[in-house]
Amino acid sequence: MKKMLRLILAGWLLFLTFSTLLAQNRNTVKGKVTNERGEVVPYASVTIKGSQGGVSADEGGIYTIDVPNRPGLRLIVSAIGYEDLEIAPGADAVLMPGSAISEVVVTAFGVKQKKKALGYATQELNNKELLESRQLNVVNALQGRVAGVQVNSTGGGPGQGARILIRGVKGLDPSANNQPLFVIDGIIMDNGTFTENAAASLRGMSNRAADINPDDIESLSILRGGAATALYGIGAANGVVLITTKSAKAGKMRVGFSSTFGIEEVNKFPEVQSTFTQGYYTESFTNPTTGQTLQGYNPASFWPAWGTTVDEARAVDPTHPDKLYHHYKQAYNSGNQTRNTITLNGGTESALLSSSLSYNHHNGVLPNTNFTSINARLGAQFRLNNKLRFNPTILYTNSGGTRYNADRFGESTSYWSPRWNVKDFQNPDGTMKVYGTNNNPIYGAHYNLFKDNVDRIIANANFVYDPTNWLNINYRFGMDNTNDTRRTTKPGPRGIAGEFVLSDGGLLGVSGALGSVGEYRINNRVLNSNLIITATKQWSNKFNTVFRVGNEIRDRKYSYLAAEGAELDIPDLLSLNNAKVRSNNQRLEEERSVSFYGDATFSWDNFLFLNATIRNDQVSNLPVGNNSFFYPSVSLSYVFSQHLKLPDWVTFGKFRASFSQIGIGAPSPYLTNTYYSNPFGQPIGGVIPWSRNNERGDPNLKPEFTQNREIGGELRFFNNRLGVDATYYQINSKDLIVPILVSTASGFNSVRTNAGEIQNRGWEISMNGAPIETKDFRWDIGINLTHNKNEVLKVSAQSNEIVVGSQFGYIGATVTQKYVVGMPVGGLYGTSYARFYGDKADDGVTLGRDLPWIIQGGTGAQRGYPQRDTRQRLLGNSQPRWIGGINNSFRYKNLSLGILFDFRTDYQKYNQLGNFMSAFGIADYTENRRETITFPGVLANGTANTQAVFLGQGLGPDGRNYGDGYYRIIHRSLSENFVEDADWFRLRTLNLSYAMPGKWFSKTKLIRDMTISVTGNNLWLSTPYSGYDPETSATPASSNADGFAGFSYPAVRSVFFNLNVNF
Amino acid sequence: MKKIILNISVLGMLAISLTGCEKYLDINQDPNRPTAPPINGLLAATTQQTALNFQRTGNTSSYYTQYLASPNASSPTDVYDRIDLSGSWQSLYDNLADVYDLEKMAVEQRSSEHLGVAKILRAINMSMVIAMFGDVPYEEAFAGVIYTPAYNTEEEIHGICITLLDEGIAELRKTTSSIRLGTTQDFIHGGNRTAWIRTAFAIKARLLNRLSKKSSYSAVAVLSAVDSAYTSNLQDASLRTFAVRNPWAAVARNNAALVLDGWISDNLVKAMNGTRTGVFDPRLRRFTDTTRFGDFRGTPNGRGRIGTGTTRDECYLTINNYYSADNAPLFIATFEEMKMIEAEAALRANNRTRAYTAYINGITAHMTKVGVSAADRNTYLTNASIAVGETNLSLATIFREKYIVMFLHPEAWVDARRFDFNYPGFTLPVGALLTEAIRRVDWPDSERQRNAANVPGLPPLTQRLWFDRP
Repeated sequence: MKKMLRLILAGWLLFLTFSTLLAQNRNTVKGKVTNERGEVVPYASVTIKGSQGGVSADEGGIYTIDVPNRPGLRLIVSAIGYEDLEIAPGADAVLMPGSAISEVVVTAFGVKQKKKALGYATQELNNKELLESRQLNVVNALQGRVAGVQVNSTGGGPGQGARILIRGVKGLDPSANNQPLFVIDGIIMDNGTFTENAAASLRGMSNRAADINPDDIESLSILRGGAATALYGIGAANGVVLITTKSAKAGKMRVGFSSTFGIEEVNKFPEVQSTFTQGYYTESFTNPTTGQTLQGYNPASFWPAWGTTVDEARAVDPTHPDKLYHHYKQAYNSGNQTRNTITLNGGTESALLSSSLSYNHHNGVLPNTNFTSINARLGAQFRLNNKLRFNPTILYTNSGGTRYNADRFGESTSYWSPRWNVKDFQNPDGTMKVYGTNNNPIYGAHYNLFKDNVDRIIANANFVYDPTNWLNINYRFGMDNTNDTRRTTKPGPRGIAGEFVLSDGGLLGVSGALGSVGEYRINNRVLNSNLIITATKQWSNKFNTVFRVGNEIRDRKYSYLAAEGAELDIPDLLSLNNAKVRSNNQRLEEERSVSFYGDATFSWDNFLFLNATIRNDQVSNLPVGNNSFFYPSVSLSYVFSQHLKLPDWVTFGKFRASFSQIGIGAPSPYLTNTYYSNPFGQPIGGVIPWSRNNERGDPNLKPEFTQNREIGGELRFFNNRLGVDATYYQINSKDLIVPILVSTASGFNSVRTNAGEIQNRGWEISMNGAPIETKDFRWDIGINLTHNKNEVLKVSAQSNEIVVGSQFGYIGATVTQKYVVGMPVGGLYGTSYARFYGDKADDGVTLGRDLPWIIQGGTGAQRGYPQRDTRQRLLGNSQPRWIGGINNSFRYKNLSLGILFDFRTDYQKYNQLGNFMSAFGIADYTENRRETITFPGVLANGTANTQAVFLGQGLGPDGRNYGDGYYRIIHRSLSENFVEDADWFRLRTLNLSYAMPGKWFSKTKLIRDMTISVTGNNLWLSTPYSGYDPETSATPASSNADGFAGFSYPAVRSVFFNLNVNF
Repeated sequence: MKKIILNISVLGMLAISLTGCEKYLDINQDPNRPTAPPINGLLAATTQQTALNFQRTGNTSSYYTQYLASPNASSPTDVYDRIDLSGSWQSLYDNLADVYDLEKMAVEQRSSEHLGVAKILRAINMSMVIAMFGDVPYEEAFAGVIYTPAYNTEEEIHGICITLLDEGIAELRKTTSSIRLGTTQDFIHGGNRTAWIRTAFAIKARLLNRLSKKSSYSAVAVLSAVDSAYTSNLQDASLRTFAVRNPWAAVARNNAALVLDGWISDNLVKAMNGTRTGVFDPRLRRFTDTTRFGDFRGTPNGRGRIGTGTTRDECYLTINNYYSADNAPLFIATFEEMKMIEAEAALRANNRTRAYTAYINGITAHMTKVGVSAADRNTYLTNASIAVGETNLSLATIFREKYIVMFLHPEAWVDARRFDFNYPGFTLPVGALLTEAIRRVDWPDSERQRNAANVPGLPPLTQRLWFDRP
């Protein structure tokens, strides 16, 4: 690693030298960019008027640019949120606040456009907004900040993936990618989450956008609607996240340094009972010294908390601690993060260089989990002559760490008895310390290891050629190459007498107790070629046109190689050579597409803008005949405030409307055939057994289509002190390719075909205002609200539902997430308390929550207990009704305070942890297990229940044998008890920063500016959910089964301290 | 400079010229998997999986027959709780889908040998399915054309299985097959047609004998099938080549590594250690190892283990044992089972001489197979409770001894139900959720979710399947 760093550094210096040599004999001028209140405006773009060349100002607002010796030369300074300004070279620029008239945003293919000309909604975040939360994963940094966007951090694990959804779920395939396309500097970047084997899917793998250092991002645009994304074609139906990295800054070499340190802890734990200890009613303990015997208590029991009370146990077993541990709190540590970034920028107008190097390390709250990343970036802009520019960029990331299976950790922590200290996990000889036969979760985290090591290069070569002043040819070639090397290890038994071997981490069907080694190689390579020819023509003062035609080629190649071994000969020789059972496996996937597109924009008198696009895709993953498809889009923007006479207090008004269609190829290659494979993964006795695959392919697959309609408007009042932006959209997705899960007796487990239809309709509203604005103090508030209403219109001719996922619950309490016709996606189905319907109709699907429970009558063993309804009924939905964020920013002189709240309403998740906490007597409500109660409800005949029952186990006070007791016989078997409301309202981010006055260091001549800040994330959370933070997910970021949150990696509350210095 | 312009134009031209190239996009054939497998590859998969399915289902039924007991108290299977057998169901039907393809390919390629084996394999797997679930998809199953297949009755499928066996025998008697069974790919009989015919008769005998509660039961038909089945242990249908090892050995190895599994039930120990018969059955030493106390101790079903499980307080399967050694054969049908079926049928036909001979031969053959010494065998066979003599031979004695012969085999649960669990000393598990022994299992959750319209419902687990009713 050190070698590599040295190499990078050497290359970097060489490059700088080279670029300086290229510099021509010109004048270098510099100036400062501030706003009307005298505050620094960082990263403003400074261009020479009448030419395409330009630079960006630095964080301190200083621009440095080489200009030719030409009289009357003028510079244009522009920055997001401000009016463009023309200045003389070297002059300071004082920008006026962003009127909507001139605001510029990045749109498809990196084209910067005036926002007012757009017929669709878009939102852009700048570097400062992205960095405020100090989140390493850029997706997490979007939390609460953008309308129409749902971000789910899947947990607080180091490097853990995060999921982003724009305007709802549009694919019906449970494995469909519903996340937006990521485009970085004009080329496609993979944001997949590689979950190749079962182990990886539970280990919180990173979504690959996490490889981007947020420090390197200058701006991030979210393109939500179809008209905005139609030019990107396949893959863009789910929206596009456009990332623009920082561009070069001309002038003398600038060095910036940023250092962050953070600490974190689990932000929410489940509530546990503290009265009852280890044991079971059938077990007993005899004190070897006194001979005293206690029924129900057993310090070696598998059962963590179905025993006697602590006091009863202590009377017989003096080794019992005086109170139980909170074993969940006990099992987690506090975590920490460090992050250091150096940036180095310099060059001249003809050769500019921007670079950065960053090192991050994160130790998670789950023991022995960590993540390290090293990011390096080199971006250059070469002006070869007046007509030709060459802009190469290269991003390199090395990342990875030790990841643990949070599901297994949560499960084995639930089995662990709170009578024992879970932190005391190891014997001096290195074997696992146990009290019986339960694995210690922390020992597992230390010995059942999974490490990933990712090398990623995103390289981009961009040629821009301006043969005449009305024609521009832009060619980009990009490569995104990811090499992910993964290794799993688990030592075998050491052969020490009395040793208890951890059984997790098994491979090839062999228990992990015998040891295992797994080596995995993943290579994902995306090539992207994009040629755009732009012709601009001004026909008159009022009528302008811009035409574009282009060609795009995408080429994706994915290869996977796995070698697994089990049963180690020498227990701690963690090598495949040492494994007695071995198997290997490989997979290769290739997908390509060739597309043509065109785009025409007409503008009239600066208030009416019409844009139309067409695109034709030809893809490799559909059968010939169905693999070429065409689709159009059209959008209109009418800035009526520029056209009509409006009252003075209306600053800006715009209406926009758009219609578009986007075609989508198959979700993955090779779906057009049915294949055979060897289910054993290895030959048997030299023979390969071939077996029909569980999924049936469809030779007649055709493209999916998504149709978007969007209308909206924007109004600003009182000189931009108040603004409202509202959008209503309707998105219909048709011919969706779905794998219909079918009866396994049919001969297949699933069948792929074009069948589904889904609709999303919704509102996106954002408001912003500046309630207080004085010379020294300013308060800005921004509110965004999103409501998406999703409906599955059709699944297939054969079926009205698709199972997206299911998660285990005891005795039939397994919860299934399904897409069902007529319902929104995300429905959670499971067992419930049987209700007495009487003469009311029962549709067999929904749950009559208001109806009385049916209590079991008669003389059976379960009389007096509520009756179970084992039919899977709709118990909840994982898609929130409202998502929103409230962002406040206060500024007093050099001090600024940002407070971001975000919330989510009306949605549910299945708490599998809760199911286990009921089954094992851990939950706080099981404190009542020695009570005798009469369940409210009626008998099957409708008469009131009068049968009192004991809630505990074994013989009750009434002499009746209650066996395993109410919680194990009834309560844990009902999904209804564990599908919980997951609404939340939280203080997502609080950031306080202080920019030190420049005069403090003006004497040093070295430091130009310095900022210190402190950030708190998740400082406060309000939710009715009883498990860990409901934002976490038991499934990886790529999964659409987002209704399961039980044994997830807990979310964290974190505090970061940051120092930022520019030299 | 010019070079760069040239480069750009070349790249641009390349971009455009590629589009005309259909070949560039013609890459949608999976390079890793075939669409048409070799017929003997299907034979390999189906013969291997058919045998493994006996272990998969046996690993559930053995808790109901109390060969095994969970080391954990109140384990759902032990105490007759509702369990989800989606996994076993899918293993059976996946294999049946491959058998369907094998059969189809055999017809296409005019291989009477593969066709015969396919029919027999279908009968074998279906007979396992109906013994657990009763009514199940059959007519509309396997082909992958109907996604929510209707259910056929157990009675219909039972009849079809008999027909399939007869058809399979007929095909295998043909000598004109265009293709021969692959000798290494046929994991059950190594491509031996005669062996397959015997096995077909053995399965037929087993299925006809299942009808003992029915008026349609025909001892003559059973005996006729037995006559054409095995004549020695060497002809047994079993699997001896494994991907890694015998799946019971995997259980034993897991247990040795403290993933507790494969614990011997108290019921089995008491049935064999002399408690109930007065004579120690030497096969017990081949079924399991002794405890650290030097004797045999089982775990009562539902009660869970004594102690931590790290010391040998109770008995479990180990790799030293006959059925759970790494290379132990996994049995589909055996000579000793045929002898016990013969004994039962002959006794029902009142042919006591034949019945008693078969009864003794069955026990003898089994003892020899598992490696009991001649001396130990004779001690056992001459004990009064075993050597009951022709006139005293009862069905109860045959069922009691067949129970030992069928150790770990799923058909033992069929026997137990035919015998109404009247084994001496057999008791319900500790904390049983039913008031009588379990008679069926639930249709799997996967069927309830995906084929809801056709799943017959959620009957009590005491519901008797068709074969179990008069």
